[in-house]
Amino acid sequence: MRMQLNQSKNSVSKSRFAEKLALAATALVGTAIHAQENDAEWDFSASAFAYSEIDRVSAAELIFTGEKDFSDTSNFSFKVVLDSLTGASANGAIAQATPQTFTRVSANGQYAIAAFETPTDNNYRDTRAQVNVSWTDALTEDTRYTVGSNLSKEIDYLSFGVSGELAKDFDRRNTTLSAGVSLGVDRFAPLGNVPLAFASMVVDNGQFASNAEFQTAFDATRTTESETINTAELLLGWTQVVNRRMLFQFNYGFANISGYLTDPYKILSLVDNSGISQDYIYENRPDSKQQHSVFGLMKYHLDESIFDVSYRYVSNDWDIQSHTIDTHWRFFSDNGSFWEPHVRFYQQSAAEFYTPFLSQAQLSLPAPGPEFASADYRIGDLTAYTIGLKYGFQLEDGDRAEVRLEYYKQTPNDANRPSGIANLENIDLYPEVDAVILQFNYFF
Amino acid sequence: MILGALLTFLSGCSSMGVEPWDRDLLAKPEMAVNSSPLDQAIDDHIYFSKEASSGGRSFAGGGCGCN
Amino acid sequence: MHYSRIAGEILMIKNLILSISITLIVTLSTGVNASSEPSDTSQFDISQYRGKVVYLDFWASWCVPCRKSFPWLNQQQQKYSAEDFVIIAVNLDKKRSLAEVFMEENPASFKIIYDPKGKLAKKYQIKGMPSSVIFDRNGKAAFAHTGFFVKKKNEYEQEIQNLIDSSKK
Repeated sequence: MRMQLNQSKNSVSKSRFAEKLALAATALVGTAIHAQENDAEWDFSASAFAYSEIDRVSAAELIFTGEKDFSDTSNFSFKVVLDSLTGASANGAIAQATPQTFTRVSANGQYAIAAFETPTDNNYRDTRAQVNVSWTDALTEDTRYTVGSNLSKEIDYLSFGVSGELAKDFDRRNTTLSAGVSLGVDRFAPLGNVPLAFASMVVDNGQFASNAEFQTAFDATRTTESETINTAELLLGWTQVVNRRMLFQFNYGFANISGYLTDPYKILSLVDNSGISQDYIYENRPDSKQQHSVFGLMKYHLDESIFDVSYRYVSNDWDIQSHTIDTHWRFFSDNGSFWEPHVRFYQQSAAEFYTPFLSQAQLSLPAPGPEFASADYRIGDLTAYTIGLKYGFQLEDGDRAEVRLEYYKQTPNDANRPSGIANLENIDLYPEVDAVILQFNYFF
Repeated sequence: MILGALLTFLSGCSSMGVEPWDRDLLAKPEMAVNSSPLDQAIDDHIYFSKEASSGGRSFAGGGCGCN
Repeated sequence: MHYSRIAGEILMIKNLILSISITLIVTLSTGVNASSEPSDTSQFDISQYRGKVVYLDFWASWCVPCRKSFPWLNQQQQKYSAEDFVIIAVNLDKKRSLAEVFMEENPASFKIIYDPKGKLAKKYQIKGMPSSVIFDRNGKAAFAHTGFFVKKKNEYEQEIQNLIDSSKK
């Protein structure tokens, strides 16, 4: 039920292909949809999005959505996403004063990294397709339900999820309470199969007489072909209208994720007490993660603009805690166009098993060494900010378009810089991220 | 500090809300809780890939309150 | 050193935003609903229509189901003689120009009166948008509806017909 105002549209400009795709998607949701005497039309959107990190990964994405009211109270929507990821991704090892060689994830080759360069696997290429569907309807005058499903596939990863949500209005619809559950099951079949935790990366430096010998040694470091990941999430929400100009929302979320949570493509450098890398070992993370989040949002309508600010706190049992502040300010012009600046601050504390590298000393302690370790900078201590600007405008036939340009910068915090291993002083142990985002949306 | 804020906040609770005919501004699509779902989904995807936290937002409420 | 200062600044900004939000919520919860448009509410008196069935409809330009209700109301006004049945649509927009734009796209063949301050809506204790109150020929409220549902059109029409037929002179 979309009871928000829609922008006026010219029905002549609907695409026939889009209608057919929409009908096919409708068939997925079941046969119980009988179009009533209803002249509601489909609303579509098409988006193109590009993300590019300086010297690292780039992504391009195409998104197509459609939605339609099927009765006074029901609404169906779908989304199709195609995306492609290319470029270099940090593999977890640290730079050295000498060049380094690593084996590719699928073991069919190697790559060399120059001295003082942060090791990245630059043969990183992944394409993904995703479909989401969702159906919402009223149960009683004041309650609504929504059910949805999503399916996503890429070369090494399959993800399937379902979700359901109930919402109830109180006090002239000024208060809405909602509860939602989502369940997901993913199957991860990494290229080159799942590595043994902390196994050494087999690198062919000429010690193997044949490729078959290399392959045998490589296979000895692998276990299963695929692993599963199960996700269960609960989200409780309270939306409240304060006055004619303002509303807020508070959410509490709980997530339980279990299964294979390690990144099979990431390694750690194992260094001696001079900081010289002796070995590369595959990382290992716990097989479960429980997470709590609280979220608050406020939206305020001034005379010619709308301002919103939100805060989110997330905490999990890997000891990661994060704070996010996100704010937008949309300024309207008379001709139906708008400018919207956007600022986001993010700060997270490192997972307890995060370490930029491991030393041999740590692994040869009389007490058992670390059970989990990962050098993935994305679970380290970091601060990030995003600054962006969006422009939206109306086209002559009543359709709308938007363009958004953003800059994302992530910097590691210095809280966990280890007390010196002398030779690592002039090595950059913590990668930064510098990215530009460009997006076009078209609504018709 | 948060407790103090919450108490101040809750004391104003009983007077919150508008009459059904005063929802003209709230009815605007830009005032919906999820007013830019495309951008939201893209942002969630980026930050899920680059950071260690995910989720927290969703759901609807507010709006024009019609039907 | 630089980074922990950023963390400290983020904490400060977080506190600032929390304080601003609270100030906004507490101090701006006063009525911000005033409209400066002229109102016709003094012109409406149900006793003026004694002898006729009156359909009092409350609508606004921002109310999406009102786009469905207007064509149906036109039909009803057409169907029943003006001696038996009258529709009065009360507009609740705060700016009359918004109502006029709506009516260009959704023309009305029935009477419109303007209640920008919501006085009539309050008098009839409207619970949602749109709303309707249907009065019998004696000026007594017989039916009230919150919302306009396409699937209930027959039900609405049945009520109008019943009121027109009963208490016919």
